[in-house]
Amino acid sequence: MNGDYSKFLQTFFEEVTEHLSVLESGLLTLEQNPDDVEVLNRIFRSVHTIKGAGPMFGFTTMSRFAHKVETLLDPLRNRKFSATRQIIDLLLESADCLNMLIEAAKNGTVIDENKTVLDLEARLETCMTVTAPAPGQKPAPGPSSATPAPPAAVTSASQTYHISWTPGEDLFQRGLNPLKLFEEMGRLGTVTSCVLATSRLPDLADLDPERCFLSWTCTLETDYPREDIESVFEFTAPPGGLTITALSSSSPAAQPTQEPDPEPARSVVNEEDDPQLAEVFFGQKSDSLGAILVEQKAVTPAQLAKALDRQDTIRANSKEQKAEVSMRVDTEKVDKLVNLVGELAITQSMLSALGGRFEIKHLPILQERLLQLERNTQEIQKRVMGIRMLPIGTAFNRFPRLVRDLSAKVGKNIQLLISGEETELDRSVIESIGDPLTHLLRNACDHGLEPPEERVAAGKPEQGTIRLNAFHEGGKICITVEDDGRGLNRDKILAKAIEQRMITGNDTLSDDQVWALIFRPGFSTAEKLTDVSGRGVGMDVVKRNIEALSGIVSIKTVTGRGTIFTLKLPLTLAIIEGMTIRVGEDTYIVPLLSILESIQPKADMVKTLIGKGEVVNVRGAFYPIVRLYEVFDLQPEHKNPAEAILLILETEGERVVVMVDEILGQQQVVIKSIEENFRKVDGVAGATILGDGTVGLILDVRGLVKLARQEESIAV
Amino acid sequence: MSRVILVVDDSPTMRGMVTHALSEAGFETKEAENGKDALIKLTMMEEGGTKPDVIVTDINMPEMDGIELVKEIRKLSAFKHVPVLVLTTDNTDEKKEVGRAAGATGWLVKPFDSELILKVIRKVLPQ
Repeated sequence: MNGDYSKFLQTFFEEVTEHLSVLESGLLTLEQNPDDVEVLNRIFRSVHTIKGAGPMFGFTTMSRFAHKVETLLDPLRNRKFSATRQIIDLLLESADCLNMLIEAAKNGTVIDENKTVLDLEARLETCMTVTAPAPGQKPAPGPSSATPAPPAAVTSASQTYHISWTPGEDLFQRGLNPLKLFEEMGRLGTVTSCVLATSRLPDLADLDPERCFLSWTCTLETDYPREDIESVFEFTAPPGGLTITALSSSSPAAQPTQEPDPEPARSVVNEEDDPQLAEVFFGQKSDSLGAILVEQKAVTPAQLAKALDRQDTIRANSKEQKAEVSMRVDTEKVDKLVNLVGELAITQSMLSALGGRFEIKHLPILQERLLQLERNTQEIQKRVMGIRMLPIGTAFNRFPRLVRDLSAKVGKNIQLLISGEETELDRSVIESIGDPLTHLLRNACDHGLEPPEERVAAGKPEQGTIRLNAFHEGGKICITVEDDGRGLNRDKILAKAIEQRMITGNDTLSDDQVWALIFRPGFSTAEKLTDVSGRGVGMDVVKRNIEALSGIVSIKTVTGRGTIFTLKLPLTLAIIEGMTIRVGEDTYIVPLLSILESIQPKADMVKTLIGKGEVVNVRGAFYPIVRLYEVFDLQPEHKNPAEAILLILETEGERVVVMVDEILGQQQVVIKSIEENFRKVDGVAGATILGDGTVGLILDVRGLVKLARQEESIAV
Repeated sequence: MSRVILVVDDSPTMRGMVTHALSEAGFETKEAENGKDALIKLTMMEEGGTKPDVIVTDINMPEMDGIELVKEIRKLSAFKHVPVLVLTTDNTDEKKEVGRAAGATGWLVKPFDSELILKVIRKVLPQ
């Protein structure tokens, strides 16, 4: 068997993950618009694919479960009944369950008769019975050689039997008609499936029409005892030619499964027995190619057993494969790159031709070629970074569900509006942005938005709105989480901060500084702990996560109107936009993201305040000055702030002013870790190679702020 | 000259596995994501003066499903004699009848057994 499909396992998981998110978002759409057939078809297809592909890797439980879900989706899709809130709840739970099964499969864990799965399967079936007007009591029409049996009354005591019948080859010679036997069997109950197997049929040339090479497998629901079924087939089968197995007692309205479950099939049929076969060529006739009589086979028990053996191997392999991280890249992106690299090669060959016979009169051509090289390089850099870019929508996907569940939990009516899903950013950033955003949304649901009564009393619509938006702004990505709730309460935050001794009552703080308090570890103003949020862990984690991504969080809030959290993140972690500055003879890089402005102060703007050290007065606000040459022990050009340049930097809502000799310019720099190659250096975030080949250090703004604070305390 | 099989399935996993099994057995494979895509690929092949020897298609696909595809293929003079094998999870007799009536040559069931697929394909390959 050329069945090494383990290398498709990764593809399968990627695909299934996409299908799951289709399923979930589809269900949420459905909740708003229960009769959207487009959506129903889409989610049906997703579940269908999981069901179909799962068993190829031995994930039979996953497939069986998907089948159950599909059975409920099918009548919805065919408009037999429409999706109620209960059904959607159940389907969402099923989506979670599928997710669990998939996660388990990824980890190589076998989930078999898991309680959640069984429980949900039972509920899905119940849902079908309760909702469906009259789910399929009708027997499947048998193949041409068998006759559909008339339906018989089925009582709750009925039993389902699996009958596998291989009559002796002399059946016809003895004057027996299989059709009659099936009719007789039909009188005993309902034949829910009847499949003709023709695997033993010889080629046409060798076929003796008087001999019977056929066999059948049927499922019969009946009240009659097994003996009665046996008596129907009495004397027709050689020893071993007839097996009757009780499957399970079935409830009257249970939907007959369209496919035999793999599990029972395996236990019922033994390998020498006539296998469960399905016809490939629709019985005897095939329109286009005329009558083809072939050996017809689908999955034999032997093959099933083989597949089951194989799944152990695949599971073993899947563990090893887990470490492999792959990503799918749009072919178009790769094609563009190939094209660009081609151009680069052309530019390079033009340059080397020029270099081979260079004369000074060629200088303008050289400059032109170099410009072209620069353009090529920039374009390639952009495109290569683009390979790692994904639309942020992939991170937003889970939020509609989250907010839906939360709104039920906190008893508020909340709508989530998402925009800018198509905004692209680095996939590693996307992966890390999920948790902080989840937290912000939880907070908005729980604290930000008021309970309905309070909203109505305040003259607001009862339904609270949370907006999640993403957009590009100056080489950064901004993500905003905005609620139209009560806004942050300055007094409450101050009181809490004083109570928790984060500040003293004497401190005068600006609004921004007050809002920044909620990012301190251990801070919580919630009066009571709720299930959703408010354990005092959270906002500090949000901030730390964002900062780990070299991003910043800021808050804007209007009492009674709402709060906006803005996350600003670099598009990628490997490259930053930097401002190169000079102190003495050394070049440093300041992350552009943290620069607010640069000034050349007048002498009277710089003061030394008791308890604050040296500060500069910028439009009425005093910021501590850090003299970079003191920090790094350099020989500066200017020691007088009035002659130097001051950069106002901001991080975590705090500002610090760094004194430098000169601003050289803006450039993109590739961050190289110092810690990995040397050790941690205070005030330095990393290093990079500058245009002239020397190493430039990237300033750590947070570290500098800390340094300024230490000076403050020394100055005290 | 190797025989060409067109594999139509919206699931990349399935497509990958089927084409893998076929190419290991020495077939040349072409892929299409759905019925519509398959018709486009067929048209392109026709323009290039080639055609697939066998088409293997899924049923449940966006844009155009497998049944529609079979019907369309049977209308095209260049392709109406190409054997079309359905490969699907659907295993009900009703569905099979629909497939047969539409003009499908054979009905294979997922999860599939590559040996069986190969056997069936060899059977239906035009001489």
